[in-house]
Amino acid sequence: MKVLLVGGAGREHAIAISLAKSSYSPRIYCISEMINIGIKKLVEQSNGEYFRGNINDPNVVSNIAEKIGADFVFIGPEEPNFHGVPDKLEEKGIPCIGANKAVSEIEMSKAHMRDIQWKYKIPGRLWYKKFKTFEEALPYIEEYADSIALKPARQVGGKGVKVIEDIQVYLQDDKKKLKIAHAESIVKEYMKDYDDTEYKLLIEERVWGPEYTLQCFTDGRSILPMPIVQDNKHAFDGDLGMETGGMGSISCGLTLKYGIDDERSLLTREEYEKSAEIVKMMVDAIQKETGKKYHGVVAGQMMLTPVWGPTIIEMYSRFGDPEAINVLKALKTDLIEICEAIISEKLNTIKLEFDENAIVVKAVCPEGYPNRRDLAKNHPIKINNDIINNENIIWASVDINNGAIVTGGSRIVECIGIGNNIPEASLKAENLCEKISLEDGWRVFHRSDIGSEKFMERRFSLANLAREIYQYRERKGLLGKRIIWMPGKGLIEVG
Amino acid sequence: MTGILGIYFFDERWNVCNFGVYGLMALQHRGEETFGLEIIGNSRNKIEGEGLVEKILINNKKINGHICLGAVSPSISELQPFKLNDSVSLAIDGKIISIEDYRWDSTLSYENNLRRAFKGNKIEDAIDFFSRCKGGFSYIVVNDKKEMIAGRSSLGTKPLALGKMGFEGGIIASETCVMEVIGERVPISPAENIEPGEIRVFTPLSAYSECIENCTKRAYCSFEYVYLARPDSYINDIPVYRVRRRIGEILAEKDDIDADVVIGVPETAIPFAMAYSNKTGIPVEKGFEITGRRVRSAMKPNQLERLKGVQLKLNVISEVVRGKRIILIDDSIVRGNTLANIVYLMKEKGAKEVHVRIGSPRIISHCPFGVEIPPEDELIGRHLNEEKIAEVIGADSFRYLSIDDLAEAIGIKSEELCLGCFSNSYPEV
Repeated sequence: MKVLLVGGAGREHAIAISLAKSSYSPRIYCISEMINIGIKKLVEQSNGEYFRGNINDPNVVSNIAEKIGADFVFIGPEEPNFHGVPDKLEEKGIPCIGANKAVSEIEMSKAHMRDIQWKYKIPGRLWYKKFKTFEEALPYIEEYADSIALKPARQVGGKGVKVIEDIQVYLQDDKKKLKIAHAESIVKEYMKDYDDTEYKLLIEERVWGPEYTLQCFTDGRSILPMPIVQDNKHAFDGDLGMETGGMGSISCGLTLKYGIDDERSLLTREEYEKSAEIVKMMVDAIQKETGKKYHGVVAGQMMLTPVWGPTIIEMYSRFGDPEAINVLKALKTDLIEICEAIISEKLNTIKLEFDENAIVVKAVCPEGYPNRRDLAKNHPIKINNDIINNENIIWASVDINNGAIVTGGSRIVECIGIGNNIPEASLKAENLCEKISLEDGWRVFHRSDIGSEKFMERRFSLANLAREIYQYRERKGLLGKRIIWMPGKGLIEVG
Repeated sequence: MTGILGIYFFDERWNVCNFGVYGLMALQHRGEETFGLEIIGNSRNKIEGEGLVEKILINNKKINGHICLGAVSPSISELQPFKLNDSVSLAIDGKIISIEDYRWDSTLSYENNLRRAFKGNKIEDAIDFFSRCKGGFSYIVVNDKKEMIAGRSSLGTKPLALGKMGFEGGIIASETCVMEVIGERVPISPAENIEPGEIRVFTPLSAYSECIENCTKRAYCSFEYVYLARPDSYINDIPVYRVRRRIGEILAEKDDIDADVVIGVPETAIPFAMAYSNKTGIPVEKGFEITGRRVRSAMKPNQLERLKGVQLKLNVISEVVRGKRIILIDDSIVRGNTLANIVYLMKEKGAKEVHVRIGSPRIISHCPFGVEIPPEDELIGRHLNEEKIAEVIGADSFRYLSIDDLAEAIGIKSEELCLGCFSNSYPEV
């Protein structure tokens, strides 16, 4: 069996490891823009081949798939989906695990995703406004002072989102100025290279609560939900600093327990099931809208909010990174069996099995990430056998440059720790992180707080607080409703 | 004591100015005499003055920058933040007593000694300098590379906390109440205590912490809990309000007085009185009405100002005291004239008995770490016992909280507290 893997980041390295473990012993081929040394090793061990190329070009990918005679293609990142790589493969009769162009709209167009959610009345829908130009948004931002999230209306590699909490009236003017400045840069900078969405800017209500990602396999008929994973977006310790693609993620069992034999968990069983139901409704809705089948991985990047309980923040048309690493590490079912079942639309015959272990993943990044990747790039990495042969070190943004292994500007590696409880797993990941350094002495950083006892206590108490409020709203029949009374206008209900 | 504040936005489009102003207003109780706010962006500008921070609110609109360093001070002669050299500015709460490898020059001012001892302008220079400084202090410095370094001396005497503003930046401040006034909503990212010996660094690319090695000895200032800090702050992760409530309960547990009403002297002693009342079942009432703005009378630099403050602040409500036996609770007694004034007013308005309870131990000694305590010959507690003080202030009885009870209320072992002003025995720096 031959599998072509598309993409060369940490997520794809984790997918490659799962493919390599399969009882089908596949030959693993890979195409990506940079050479990931972790994937390269698995490609070589399985007698496959590594191609450097543009993964967003449907012709490039499908030609390679044809040339090697791939039994199927597994697409890691979102951009190939948006560019119609799965569609081209389908055209050529090559099976593909990856959302096609039409259904991947639930990720690509954040405005469209919200439209669908409201049209089909799917729970966990946030209030939003979409704009085609900056000028159109300006009067709106001028008039309404509120806590909002400003987002590019298209997925642009997770960048450009700004959340502005606007509750202190005395700071309102300063916040308004920044909202306007950022709305303008979203339209004029972040979105300038994309002409594939009608809307450019999305403004959403700002919510709070613990975030989690629910990743699922789907063949378009059913979905198989995996354990929830909590990713951590702040660059620095203590939830401080800029938004990144994810600095580390934690998981333990389906509902993110504190430990294997622990009563405490981030979500209740009921919330977990509700979240899976929401993702299923989204898949059904996008298929109905587009008339296309969804084959691949779908994920809800969610939050337990006081307004709704389980709430969709964004949708992924693929695995999350680093969230993929947690679930694939825990997955006991043969990944290729799952892929085959997706291709033949018999996913309902598969029962997913997962380890109950606590898993903590931590990313090690070069200083400069996430905002100054130009400075973070091209630093040679100190390599030794200890690092290269460690199956708990996942290679992410690295490249081979004149024979040297160098940083690619984003996360260098993602280190996995496994334990009986999350703090224990966190310490193990921590030990691996310490091994990573750069030859030229350029600073690297990671988040030592992720998964610590204090950190877990905070996450759980935040969940409890959000839960108390949404359950109160549920009892009162107020779930998802926002009622305001405006002097002179009376009662206004949104949602 | 001083209130210090540093705000760091990563995104240079933010204007930090108003955040700085409101942040300092949240620290105003730590010093009402002078203030300063340096704003760092494409250029460096400073607003400073005497009196209340609110004054900055006028005409500050033209100043722009994404980093700021500010301070409020209770001393008219101390204007912070001040420059250590051309590129480095410092805001400091507390005192540096000595500096390793530097001979203190007593002919120079305190500030000038620091200026002479400090070399360089890099992060490492600041870390090295403050690691060599001994004393009880917390500090924030900024340099001309748009870097901010903040930390606490290894004993942890002075408080310092870290707050967050979503993905936008961080706040360093003497007290956590600042984060609630200008930071992100508390359930999402609660303020964090900066540990003794910890150094927090912010640069345009990063934020991280380092630690001075071998610092396990602690001397947390106990006066913060009794009087200095705001009741909505957490000091060393301990809610100040909880300590003040516990103090009131302990005072009640040690008393066996038949009284009609409990009254707290505004503002600090109100929680003591409420807890005393809840514990004993004796009703608590509002005993005073304020004329004009709230002032911290004990912090006023001279006697006339203090008395003006007290009399305006504390007009006794006759209806509450007439014909009643009163438990009157105050946070501290320094010279005794404030309390004498109050007890006199109460009796004049018909109070039958006035039993004074103090929510802190007797103040007998100075503070080497910068808390403004009057000279020792002005401290009534150093010279008179409880019975004599009762006679002087005209009270029917008078009692302090004991030092052990204070430690119990705080919930920290007394070996890890600085109790110098109450015990005349100071931590080794």
